[in-house]
Amino acid sequence: MGEVLQYFVTGLSLGGIYALVALGFYVMWEATRAANFSHGDVYMFGAVLTVVLYGSGFPLLLAAALSVAACALGGALIERVLIRPFNREPNAIGWMLTTIAVGIVLESGTTIAYGTLGRPLPTALARQPLRFGGAGIYPQELLLPLAAVAAMVALEMFYRRTILGRAMRAVAFNPTVAGLMGINVRRIAAIAYAMAAAVAAVAGILIAPVVEATPSMGTLIGLKAFGVAIVAGISNARGVVAVGIAYGILEKFIEGYISTGARNAVGFTVMILMLLAFPQGLFGRKEVAKV
Amino acid sequence: MTPRRQFLAVLVLGLGFLTVFRLLEPTNYQIGLLMRCMILMIVTIGLNILIGHAGLVSLGQAALYGVGSYVAAWLALKAALPFLAAMGAGILATAFFGAALAYPTVRVRGVYLAVITIAFGLVFENILVEWLSVTGGTQGLIGIPRGRVFGVLLTRPIYFWVVSGCLIMAFIVQYTIIHSRYGRAMRATAQSENAARALGINVTNIRILAFVISAILAGLAGGLYTFLNLFVNYETFTFLHSVGFLLMVILGGTGTLLGPVVGTSALTYVVEVLQNVREWQVFAYGLLLALIMFVMPRGVVGSLEDAVRRFWTRRGGRESRAWPNRGAPLPDLLGARPSFEGPALEIRGLTLRFGGLTAVNAVSLCVEPGTVHALIGPNGAGKSSLLNLISGFYVPTEGEIIFDAKGIAGLPSHVLARRGIARTFQNTELFGQMTALENVLVGLHQHYRSTLVETLFRLPRWVREERRFLAQATQLLDFVGLSDYADEEARNLPFGHQRRLEIARALALRPRLLLLDEPAAGLTHGEIEDLTATIRLLTDHGVTVILVEHHVEMVMTISDHVTVLDYGEVIASGRAAAVQDDPRVIEAYFGTGGIDVRRPLAASVGG
Repeated sequence: MGEVLQYFVTGLSLGGIYALVALGFYVMWEATRAANFSHGDVYMFGAVLTVVLYGSGFPLLLAAALSVAACALGGALIERVLIRPFNREPNAIGWMLTTIAVGIVLESGTTIAYGTLGRPLPTALARQPLRFGGAGIYPQELLLPLAAVAAMVALEMFYRRTILGRAMRAVAFNPTVAGLMGINVRRIAAIAYAMAAAVAAVAGILIAPVVEATPSMGTLIGLKAFGVAIVAGISNARGVVAVGIAYGILEKFIEGYISTGARNAVGFTVMILMLLAFPQGLFGRKEVAKV
Repeated sequence: MTPRRQFLAVLVLGLGFLTVFRLLEPTNYQIGLLMRCMILMIVTIGLNILIGHAGLVSLGQAALYGVGSYVAAWLALKAALPFLAAMGAGILATAFFGAALAYPTVRVRGVYLAVITIAFGLVFENILVEWLSVTGGTQGLIGIPRGRVFGVLLTRPIYFWVVSGCLIMAFIVQYTIIHSRYGRAMRATAQSENAARALGINVTNIRILAFVISAILAGLAGGLYTFLNLFVNYETFTFLHSVGFLLMVILGGTGTLLGPVVGTSALTYVVEVLQNVREWQVFAYGLLLALIMFVMPRGVVGSLEDAVRRFWTRRGGRESRAWPNRGAPLPDLLGARPSFEGPALEIRGLTLRFGGLTAVNAVSLCVEPGTVHALIGPNGAGKSSLLNLISGFYVPTEGEIIFDAKGIAGLPSHVLARRGIARTFQNTELFGQMTALENVLVGLHQHYRSTLVETLFRLPRWVREERRFLAQATQLLDFVGLSDYADEEARNLPFGHQRRLEIARALALRPRLLLLDEPAAGLTHGEIEDLTATIRLLTDHGVTVILVEHHVEMVMTISDHVTVLDYGEVIASGRAAAVQDDPRVIEAYFGTGGIDVRRPLAASVGG
């Protein structure tokens, strides 16, 4: 019983990361029908930058805030430089390659500057694990699923209640018409990418005290999160968060009941099978072909 | 130079290079490097067909390459299978994985295939590392016996020619696929899925074909790699290598014949050089990828081709001729089509709902063979939806569609196209980056009888058919007066010409029923007269036409029967003159008012 509970709570925490990173994919996809393929490296960079700033004497919260701001700026820049010029035709693929390229540069650049080893980021919430029913977890880890749900609620409010959010939805629905209505489509896209990057950075910073930030921590998380977003149907925040958390829990159970080594093979296979069964995604809308 | 001459020239130059290379007595290291490079070229040639022609991206090509490699290695090592059997099994396994991966994804969106292939690559890597008993874990499989064919041991000097032969074969396959109906169908599907479906192309199958071909080539290369290296290990088949393959294709120039060869050579060389910069290697690699995308998105060969084309473009000398060209052998072009027993098309109680919105509501109508049946009505009346139902783009919620005495409701568009229902689109949907001639040839796709094998090996039946259909496509262009524009890309044609080309392309299907969706929109007065004459000519030759059109003057002069729709319902149906006077029709167009609006109807709605 304790084992099951343990897998569940650690899975919840891992799933929180997937959910937060996948939310970013959703936001980017809605705004541009494209995404930063190296979004996982933004998550990594948020964590690493916070650790570096903290290490050079900034107070923790300020370091985190600066890191989130830097990532948001980077996100907007990625949209402007790497997505927009390469996403002009409906079936363009250039953006995939440019963003993969920047991911490679970001990860290897960080490795050169920072080293391959992880460095700790001590916080009060990662000192004493909570124990209950035979399971244990740091309070810090529980912040992740909470942050994911909070981000989801905030995002839904933002999309429904604010002018900017509504404009973003309009752009998602039809950029040309949105542009004709006086919405600055380009700025909206850049803002969406900045938001996505900020959320990913927050996820990275929240997990850094538990796992120790390394330059290679992001790649696989990013790819899995993209898979999560696609399996969810990449069309609503709730679906993305639900699938993200479920995937985290699934992975922990695979580790527990099969083996740690089988985690990715089994997890990705489940992902592929889900797409086989639901080509539109679990929560996806069937798109009516415009003829 | 024609593509055929270019191809032959490259082939001869390549063989010459290989021979000279061998005669120069290269070092063992140099031979090994060139062989590895040639093996990678086989992978990138396959990837080029997938990306450059079918418009699909695979980010797991290294894993497919790995499947071919490991299967061959395992069978040679553990089951002591001979070279050819191990290679064959590797290729078969790769083809199977290719089909299994492609099937679910190509139906949805391009990016799904990217995600699925990434996932597949990571699963594969994970299995290679973890499944110790089979894959040897991180160590890999060591001590694979050298291959032997018909008793001949494949030593390096002999194996060099085996690899060369495979590369040449891959290169030939690339050429024969691209310059055939399959290659045209791939490009058509990538450029306009809807138009491809409307021309009888099974979009799913053609994409799977592209993916399986690329997988087979990757599997072949994998097997060759195994018997070159005699040891395999997961490090050769990672995600980064998949990105590398993509980079090679793009660096060379996607969609070009020589691109994969050039890109692979260049990148192999760069990687050799980059080994000197140690930890900066990956960094430089990423930077290079980004740079190429910015500086040369069309790649080396693509950019060169563009430059040459700019230099050689023929200027002037093109003339559009009057259409319809009555000199064209229309009866031959339209072929022998069986005539209808009873009505051509009958619709009973057809309803289409999108969520709460009823676009088409219990519509019934009957189209007589050899007539022009017009559908008119205000914007949003459901005319185009009805056309999309008849051509299989929408599936009706309720009701029956009977074409030539058979129910066709819910059948996919490509099946209907093959049965003889052709259509044009409201916003012309040409294959913009294909020439006018190629556009028409895509329309002829489904008349070919030669199989894939006949096409690949250019067997006599394929040669006969290709020659015949090329002539027919030219005649169809001639029929619409565009023969001078045969080698012009469709997107460069003036709007009126694009409409003509779309009709020529639809006629290539040899339709029994032709659906025209607002063919007069955007045309000048003179062009509309030509269009009217063309439609007349077609019905004279037994083609049944359904016409959706706002240009009332044209509708009234040409139609045998007019059906008026409003809010998805039929509000009037009958001979043109009778419908024109129907008070409900007048109301639908102008609302109710005290004034007599009968006279302005014809004049003001037109245009």
